Amino acid sequence: MSYDATYTKELPLVPERSSFPELDEVVFKPTETKPTRAWYIAFIISSTALLIGALSLGYTLYYGIGMWGNNNTVGWGFDIINFVFWIGIGHAGTLISAILYLFRQKWRTGIARFAEAMTIFAVMTAGIFPLIHVGRPWLAGYLFPYPNQHNVWVNFNSPLLWDVFAVSTYFIISFLFWGLGLIPDIANLRSRTKSGIKKFFYTILSFGWRNSNRHWQHYERAYLLLAGLSTPLVLSVHTIVSFDFAVSVLPGWHTTIFPPYFVAGAIFSGFGMVATVLIVLRKVFDLKHIITIDHLEKMNKILLLTGTIVGYAYAMEFFTAWYSGYQFEQFVFINRAFGPYAWAYWIMIACNVGFPQLFWFKKIRRSIPVMMIIVILVNVGMWFERFVIIVTSLHRDFLPSSWAMYIPTWYDAGIFLGSFGMFFTLVLLFVKLLPSISLTELKAVTENAQPKNH
Amino acid sequence: MLSEENLPENIEENSSNFKDIFRELHSDKEFNHLYNEALEKRAPLDKNFSRRKFLALLGISAAFAATGCSNYRDKGNIVPYNKKPSEITIGNPVFYASTCNVCSNSCGILIKTREGRPIKIDGNPDHPINSGKICTTGQLSILSLYNPQRIKEPIFNNTQISWQEADKNIIQTLIKTTENGKEIALITNGITSPTYKKLIEGFIKTFPYTKIYSYEITGYTNKINAFKKTYGRESLPSEDFENAKIIVSFECDFLNNYPNKLSVLNKFSKNREIIEKENFNRTYCFESTPTVTGINSDYRIVLRSDILEEFICCLINEFHTVKKLSEYAKNISVINLFSKYILSDFILKNNLSKNVIDNLINDLSNNTGKSLILGGIQLSESTQILIFFLNKILENDKLYSKDKEIKCQYPLIKKADFNNLVEKINNDKIGVLTHIDTNPVYHFNGIFDYIKAIEKVPLVITLTEFESETSAQSHYTLPINNYLESWGDYNYVTGIYSLQQPVISPIYNTRQKEEILLTWIEGTHQNNSYLRYLKNNWEKNLLPAFGFPFDFKSFWINSLNAGVVKTNEKINFTGEFKIEPSELSNKPTSVTTNDYVLIIKENPFLLDGKYANNGWLQEIPHPISKIVWDNYATISPSAAKNLSLNTGDIIEIKKSGKSIKIPVLIQPGNADKVISVELGYGRTKAGIIGSFIGTNPICLLNADKDDLIIKDIEIVKTGNTYELVSTQEHYSLEKYKDIPIKRNIIYEFELDEYRKNHDLINSKEVEGINLKTFPSVNQPHKYDELKWGMAIDLNKCIGCGACAAACNIENNIPMVGKEQVKLNREMMWIRIDRYYTGDINNPSISLQPVLCQHCDLAPCENVCPVAATTHSTEGINGMAYNRCVGTRYCSNNCPYKVRRFNFFDFRDNFKEGFLYSEPLKQLSNPEVTVRSRGVMEKCTFCLQRIMNARDNAVKENRKIEGTDVVTACQEACPTNAIIFGNINDTNSDLNKYRNHKLGYTLLEEIKVKPNITYIAKLRNNH
Repeated sequence: MSYDATYTKELPLVPERSSFPELDEVVFKPTETKPTRAWYIAFIISSTALLIGALSLGYTLYYGIGMWGNNNTVGWGFDIINFVFWIGIGHAGTLISAILYLFRQKWRTGIARFAEAMTIFAVMTAGIFPLIHVGRPWLAGYLFPYPNQHNVWVNFNSPLLWDVFAVSTYFIISFLFWGLGLIPDIANLRSRTKSGIKKFFYTILSFGWRNSNRHWQHYERAYLLLAGLSTPLVLSVHTIVSFDFAVSVLPGWHTTIFPPYFVAGAIFSGFGMVATVLIVLRKVFDLKHIITIDHLEKMNKILLLTGTIVGYAYAMEFFTAWYSGYQFEQFVFINRAFGPYAWAYWIMIACNVGFPQLFWFKKIRRSIPVMMIIVILVNVGMWFERFVIIVTSLHRDFLPSSWAMYIPTWYDAGIFLGSFGMFFTLVLLFVKLLPSISLTELKAVTENAQPKNH
Repeated sequence: MLSEENLPENIEENSSNFKDIFRELHSDKEFNHLYNEALEKRAPLDKNFSRRKFLALLGISAAFAATGCSNYRDKGNIVPYNKKPSEITIGNPVFYASTCNVCSNSCGILIKTREGRPIKIDGNPDHPINSGKICTTGQLSILSLYNPQRIKEPIFNNTQISWQEADKNIIQTLIKTTENGKEIALITNGITSPTYKKLIEGFIKTFPYTKIYSYEITGYTNKINAFKKTYGRESLPSEDFENAKIIVSFECDFLNNYPNKLSVLNKFSKNREIIEKENFNRTYCFESTPTVTGINSDYRIVLRSDILEEFICCLINEFHTVKKLSEYAKNISVINLFSKYILSDFILKNNLSKNVIDNLINDLSNNTGKSLILGGIQLSESTQILIFFLNKILENDKLYSKDKEIKCQYPLIKKADFNNLVEKINNDKIGVLTHIDTNPVYHFNGIFDYIKAIEKVPLVITLTEFESETSAQSHYTLPINNYLESWGDYNYVTGIYSLQQPVISPIYNTRQKEEILLTWIEGTHQNNSYLRYLKNNWEKNLLPAFGFPFDFKSFWINSLNAGVVKTNEKINFTGEFKIEPSELSNKPTSVTTNDYVLIIKENPFLLDGKYANNGWLQEIPHPISKIVWDNYATISPSAAKNLSLNTGDIIEIKKSGKSIKIPVLIQPGNADKVISVELGYGRTKAGIIGSFIGTNPICLLNADKDDLIIKDIEIVKTGNTYELVSTQEHYSLEKYKDIPIKRNIIYEFELDEYRKNHDLINSKEVEGINLKTFPSVNQPHKYDELKWGMAIDLNKCIGCGACAAACNIENNIPMVGKEQVKLNREMMWIRIDRYYTGDINNPSISLQPVLCQHCDLAPCENVCPVAATTHSTEGINGMAYNRCVGTRYCSNNCPYKVRRFNFFDFRDNFKEGFLYSEPLKQLSNPEVTVRSRGVMEKCTFCLQRIMNARDNAVKENRKIEGTDVVTACQEACPTNAIIFGNINDTNSDLNKYRNHKLGYTLLEEIKVKPNITYIAKLRNNH
């Protein structure tokens, strides 16, 4: 390929021309140095949050779900809201690492590893909620189909059971994908490290990687296969999560638009969370030349797209309610926008549909402070989306005699806080222990990494 | 590792190594020597575990662990009968007939006992009054028997004493008091037992200075006195509700509180029949606050309670002067008396609907002798006399039974009499004051300063089951038997005697109240003395009087078995009106007061407050307001607006220097400027369950007046608020009031409209779609043999809550407490929804009992991931509690929200494990699982009863029939509004309802195919 004056040259993915050892230094620095003061403060905060969550959960496990705000009318509250929220967060990682990989979107390399780690942690956090939301968590094993002397089988008609499979599959595939991608980098770390303990663990985790040609061949093949396997999961997991609602008879839940709407929402919220953390990370670990403003701008474009899709879905729900002529559906949506939880609805609309529209402006797309505010609002908005869907649909359904209000308790809040604590504790441990940027892939996209013309 | 060199030293520690055995085999002498030496030393030492020892310990600890962990659910011992009582077959219930003692109605009951424990109270089907039904309070009164807070031993000034000591001291004092010529006052409830009455007469004979003060705070005392003045009988007429074409109620909640209430309900419901004949009476109800009667009336007219009397006078004037209906029409004095009460003026002045009043006048004048006009307990004696007079004018006393009456064995006292008692106490004329199962301190302290008075009495005795305000002020508190541990006989209606027998021996060291009195009379205590006294009275006095030719022993045993004795006793009611028209004095001058009026109402469940300590009764939602665990002051929406009050704001109600503070409830359909407060709340000494709940309004009553209507009260907003908890209406009434109709949840038609067009429901379309014929995409399941279904006739349902009570007891449903109801976590499997529709100031009020609808295509079933809720082949939506993990998905997907989740172990959570305390645990029905924490539950169509019926059918070698099963709610429903049976049996009663033109299922359009058919309510309007 030769340069032609008529083509605009694509901006380099790693702008400053760095040598490979320099890149090694930058990427591995967090894993090879003592934690900074900032890291400790962050870790203390997040692990305190985790502890608060654990205590709230402990009380709940001891006394029962009654510690929460859930009631007979609103059977699900923060528990399932948090579950859907965290599962959604995970989706961005898979999208970035798998789908963008398949589409050869090379810009992803800077953020893929990190996004994928977030997927794993988000799914781990999410996975706690279906377990603890049941009344008798010690019997949660009943949800798995295993042969037993009672000859009782699970109910394959239930979307909750599909959830069990969808989420566990998602976790396993994502974990393998992430783990596989880490191997060459860990091998690199193994070779660099001088600490005995580190060497021991990195040796185990690098599975005897010797950078041989054969290894690379197998690695590339396996990575491609796992990317292929992960790709449908981006669509399927949140589709199935949306079935929890769409399969029911409840107005406001019983909607065919839910699967695409949920998937778009998941990617939206996932990018929101990835962006939130990356903005901090690139600053703290001085990775601005690797995770560039261009990366962030591209992510903001995706936020704009998915946010608009979500906004379309909100509008379509109202249209369908009106067009169906079905009074229960109509009531639910009017109640959403003007009922007692209208404040939640309008927070959702403003955060998910309103603010991301600012990303039409290039200046805003490339402004770190504005971006930071918007992506945080996206996170807030997407949490409220689940709140709106779950609580407002349940609290006023068919028979007015059963209408009720849902008021979360401190225990709900504690567990919610704990979920963030868990997520960020894991993130913090990750950035200290493992390379948070896929160095091998990064090196492949630096300028002149694949030399030509000679 | 063992090596040759270190072997001698280490042999102790490494004893039974395989190498040792190897050596042994080779008979190494040195080794053997060392080995034996080591063996001797080793035994106590054993520092290291050998493999065998380890395995042995592992084995035994595994065994210990297994024993320790297993059987964690069943910690009790199961002890077999050494000698099996002849009447008990383990696993089978035994039923005993007895008599309910909750109110003076004395209904016949059938007590279900399992292995000697009474577990449920039902009506005695052979009893002519209540014919197999029993009210909410009656059913739940069984809780009192097992209540852990019962008084267990006699108490003297807060110290436990023996019965002997108590007897000795009390008898001495009684004798001394009699010698001193001071009065012995016995304060008791209304007396309906002939033998008890005889006993009391015996008491008076022994202690001649005894006076009886028998009172009923929620009784028809004024009506009795009015009847005495008008017809000369100290009783109440037995009114023929079945043949009454027109019933007019003036503040009379006859569907809730009335003599022979269950018989009234039964007869009233016979006039709401739509299956074979459309037999409807017409009911007008004039009231200030919605009551059960009001909301079930064809016309409910909101009228201030204080002008009722004037209205009655207008009606009298209208009928006898204008319409000249009666013989009194010519009596000038009567004309003069009433001529100033002009009905049309009254209508104008009070904004009544002229149409409705015209209809009332026409109906009453066209149905002379076939209508009933009733006045409630709130009305004064003079108003009751006017009502009797009005009935007389309309010849309605033809409906009063000629040979039967509702008896009052002992005259009831008025407030004035009680005032006399207090005065006597203050003048030191009372020597002994005995409260027999009554609570006058709670009832009257506010009016008469009773506590201060009784401090002066030398000896105050209270006979009671539970600690009460009165027992706290007494010297002696003597614990009495629950009525399920007692003997007795009751005669409430002429010719009907109910017998009471104990079904369990006294749980604590208690005595029957009659036995205590008998001991005082006889001077010594003998076990079962009252039983002997009772039998003796029947053998010597009653049986000969009835002229029965039976041998006493067999008569007694047969009668106990039946629970009821019917005799030929008759009264001779002539219908002669004894009062001179000129004596209809004390009529109101035209009242134009614009002040607030307070009316004190009876609570449907707690009665006079005696049952305030019954958590189940506290938790059954109020039939109208749906509020639990509280009373409140009702206020009309417009008055609330004027005073800028909201539900929950505390107001102070003041009347002549006394005041109460109480939260208000905005009650649609309440008369303007009328406040109503219910009795039975505000107990201060009612145990951990009943104390400090609500407010007692009695103190506002005037000591000399005998009505419960207090005029000219002052209302002050205090600015404080209090949370009233209701099971419904967590939303704005005004905004959503038409939803039940728009959503086709309830249908209400006028009878005439229905007569013209039977297809009112079938032809109804929503957005051009007929809900009934609109097809479903789902294939229905097939039910070949049997399919259970239920119909609920909303024409008959009055919303009394008896079904919920029965369900609670039958299915071991715990009470959860106000806090949990507030969070919407009430556990009752059947609820009665109440909807206000139309004008908020005078709404139409509809009821609808909702329980699990057992849908053919139940949406709860397909979403349960563990298949814990599944459909049976007989159409029952079942719950496998031990499979349920508690995802609550089923409840979310239930369109009727009938599922109930155990958010806690509610038995443990409620009042710190109150429900787990002994002996309350004994109350559980052993046929129904007690659900653990984290499990979903709901109505099962009384599966245990179906299983029993099937067992019986198998025993009899036949197939089970739909009619074999009666669900608990159906059994309890006093108006027979609930019908249960086999849908596949085309001839069943159930199918008559299912296929009825007025039948509909709830939320037809979601096509879940529920199996509960509702029959739309018809109102017999013009």
